[in-house]
Amino acid sequence: MNLKQKLAESRFFKGEAPVKQPITLSHRRIYILPSRRGLAFAVVLLLLLLIAFVYNNNLVYLLTFALASVYFVSILHCFKSLSGLKVSMGRSSPVFAGEQAHFDLLIDNPAPWARTKIHCRLAQPEFISVPPQVQMSWTLAIASISRGWLALPTVTLASFFPFGWFRAWSPLRFDVGVWVYPKPWPKSVPFPDASADSAADQGHKHRGADDFYGLAEYRPGDSIKHIHWQSYAKGAGVFVKQYSGLQSRELWLDYQAVLNLPLEDRLSLLCRWLLDAQAQGLQFGLRLPGFERPPGQGELHLQACLQALAKF
Amino acid sequence: MMVTTLTYTPRQWLGLLLGLGLVTAPHVNHLPPTILAFVAVVWLWRVAIIFRPDVQPGKIVLLLLTMTGLALLFAQHRAVFGRDAGTGLFVVALILKLMELKRERDVYLVVFLAFIVAATQFLYDQTLWMGLYIILVCGLLLTVLMTLNDAEGGLWRQVRAALTILIQALPLTLALFLLFPRLEAPRWMLLKQDRSARTGLSEFMEPGSITNLGMSDELVFRVRFEGKTPPMRERYWRGPVFSHTDGKRWSEAGRLTSVRTPAKVEFFGQPYRYTLMMEPQDKPWVFALDLPGDFPEQLIMKSTYQLYDSRDLADQRQEYHLESYTRYRAAAITRREHMVNLHLPGPPAQKIQDLVKNLSGYTAPPETFANNVLDHFRQKAFYYSLTPPAMDNDPIATFLFETRTGFCSHYAAAFVYLMRTAGIPSRVVTGYQGGVMNPVGKFIEVRQANAHAWTEIWLDGKGWVRYDPTAAIAPERVEQTLDIERQLETGAISYLDMDSEITRQLSWLSRAGQLWGSVDYSWQRWVINYRSASQQQLLSKWGIADLKQMFFWLGGILTLTTLMLSLFLLKRSRPGHLSAEVRHYQRFCEQFARLGFPRRIGEGARDYARRMAGDFPDQSELINRISAQFIRLRYEPKAQEEDLARFEKLVREFKLELEGKH
Repeated sequence: MNLKQKLAESRFFKGEAPVKQPITLSHRRIYILPSRRGLAFAVVLLLLLLIAFVYNNNLVYLLTFALASVYFVSILHCFKSLSGLKVSMGRSSPVFAGEQAHFDLLIDNPAPWARTKIHCRLAQPEFISVPPQVQMSWTLAIASISRGWLALPTVTLASFFPFGWFRAWSPLRFDVGVWVYPKPWPKSVPFPDASADSAADQGHKHRGADDFYGLAEYRPGDSIKHIHWQSYAKGAGVFVKQYSGLQSRELWLDYQAVLNLPLEDRLSLLCRWLLDAQAQGLQFGLRLPGFERPPGQGELHLQACLQALAKF
Repeated sequence: MMVTTLTYTPRQWLGLLLGLGLVTAPHVNHLPPTILAFVAVVWLWRVAIIFRPDVQPGKIVLLLLTMTGLALLFAQHRAVFGRDAGTGLFVVALILKLMELKRERDVYLVVFLAFIVAATQFLYDQTLWMGLYIILVCGLLLTVLMTLNDAEGGLWRQVRAALTILIQALPLTLALFLLFPRLEAPRWMLLKQDRSARTGLSEFMEPGSITNLGMSDELVFRVRFEGKTPPMRERYWRGPVFSHTDGKRWSEAGRLTSVRTPAKVEFFGQPYRYTLMMEPQDKPWVFALDLPGDFPEQLIMKSTYQLYDSRDLADQRQEYHLESYTRYRAAAITRREHMVNLHLPGPPAQKIQDLVKNLSGYTAPPETFANNVLDHFRQKAFYYSLTPPAMDNDPIATFLFETRTGFCSHYAAAFVYLMRTAGIPSRVVTGYQGGVMNPVGKFIEVRQANAHAWTEIWLDGKGWVRYDPTAAIAPERVEQTLDIERQLETGAISYLDMDSEITRQLSWLSRAGQLWGSVDYSWQRWVINYRSASQQQLLSKWGIADLKQMFFWLGGILTLTTLMLSLFLLKRSRPGHLSAEVRHYQRFCEQFARLGFPRRIGEGARDYARRMAGDFPDQSELINRISAQFIRLRYEPKAQEEDLARFEKLVREFKLELEGKH
């Protein structure tokens, strides 16, 4: 690494190039500068020095030097409060646009001293304390605004320990992120294809004691119509009814079939249909310009289709 | 930086208020009563708010409070600069800010102000105790800051952490203290009212109340002799002469003696011609060699033969060409002078009269009596001490019969008192004695530490004759120098007493007293009076001669201490400082790792043991045992010391053999 790279401003604020492995905080990644309070204290030190000088008072000199030395030594302690921490990111699950994306930050403190009040800044500042020789996980939330790949932005760990005069910080970039799926269309809309539509209608018609095969926990996107209100009223939680009768039906969800809508709305609608189809246990396939996934079923299939929407 | 609202628990509030109260407390002695009362009321108010938040003052009350504080300050000092006014200002600002702590930032401001208030304390009191006290209080203030940046840990842990950092900062503090260049502040930086706070001779002498003689090495004047230099024992530099006493305080005899022209003096021998360079000082006194015969016109001689400058000196260095004779005879004494120099505040105590009688004061000629008194000082257990006990009531009798410890003022005052009791006109002369020849500049330097008090008695036919009773107790003092530092260095005086016989007889209590005395002396000499002269003297011993080298050394020490401290602080992050069981377990794991079976990231001890037991089936029993023990030691709080020993033994004896595999 040459000097120019070493002094690149991005290292200090954005962090080094993103990595997948755990990052151990060392002198290469920790930066320290006086905080505003630290600068104010430096002014106080100068004032004390002036008093000592004018009055030629050695005890004031002594006090000034003691405080100045404490000021100086606190730089090391500030560094120590971050140094040696091993930070890594856990898995995170995809979200729909507008939801909070959650990232698990794993902080391992192998040292025999506690790290307290570490400022962790992503969306908003939070405080983390890690006892000695303990590994902790911390969930960071970040709002997802638009669909697509949401890379984890720079996570900055900072510490003002011990006296708040210095801020040691370490900007960390991890090569992780989540898929942000389009926001599902707010209302249920009948499936587009006539045959699929009739299949769905059939499904509705035929829905009976035979077809109902169980309850599943509610997931975002499940049709409100399928919520099992009885169990909800009992306080057992929110469940949706699942039907087996529609398993054999095939449904093609085609981008071209949705006309007269802006792009994002089309994707949003497709997203809603995918979710509804999954909730109703339909066999569904997705066709986008340049992408086609034959009808299938199951969670993985759904995720693949949603991801296609996110990427589109 | 974000703005953080202050969330303080009552406990933290009490801690903060306690720290601030302790910082302000010693100011009780020097704050004017009105300001003191104001500060106390606001502080108590603030304490009350912790328990009764409804008494928090509103905006208007706060404004009124601020106005009151400022009005009180202005009424007292009519200024914001200077020692007293500045101290008052900082204390009032601190206490007012306390009423309005809303954000973390405010706590910082208050603590910073408190540091300044702590420093102003040293402008009044420089004892060792005060030094220790203030450092401890600063430790408490640092703890207050730490509570804002350390979410966990009890108060004690934080106090300990703050004090630890303070101790770690100690080497650097000492290096800075020793090497930071001490420069004299230019005079214009000193405010009028602060000048009098400097050490030096004053217009009166009060031996009983001074328990600590300042030993400043501040330069008072330099003298360059043309031709011969008088020997040390003749270097008495004449200052104010005190004839009047009320039993405690000695002062000049008022207008009567100062205005009149002095009586004629007869001089003998060759005069000493010299140039006197006075450093800037507050008083117009000119310290001529006893006794000046010829002096420039701008100087005026009092009837006590003291010289002073008639001009407004405006704090400048002055230079005078003078001529003095060390042998002289005053021709006459007026009746008025005779009376004044016999004056006693009341009839002497019976004990004193008995003493005078025993020393044949009423019968023998004056000279014999004076020598008898000196013998008395020499033979009885009279000590010379720079830190004598206070003698508040009847200092003369206390000194003569009880403490028998003092410095020149005590001896001079007691001597004159005894003389007057015996009916011999006598007076106290203050000034400087000695002075050190500067071999480079070929002049004599006289410093504040050379300040001295001696006496003169009137002998018919001989005039005023100088007697130095302090010399009776410490002859070295006259023969060599009054420069105490130099004397201690050369071992000429052993600080408290000269007589080793007496030392042996002293009880352990007085030994403790002596010990304390010497500690206090070292404090005075090495800390309080470590000024540019003593700094140069000390540093040149180590070969540090100039400013450049001083900074060079300072930088070197800074780098070195930083390196050592970071090694000390950060070394514990290495595995060597993991807890013992982890260390042993890692050794165990390394054996597998060497054969290509490392523990995977995130793999627990139990899973690893299962995997390894599968790969090394014939060792599986041991592997499982070691792993189980490790888990127990690591995670069960009941694990004992001997379990650890057993575990270590197990790991040590564990040898992984390759033959076991396949």
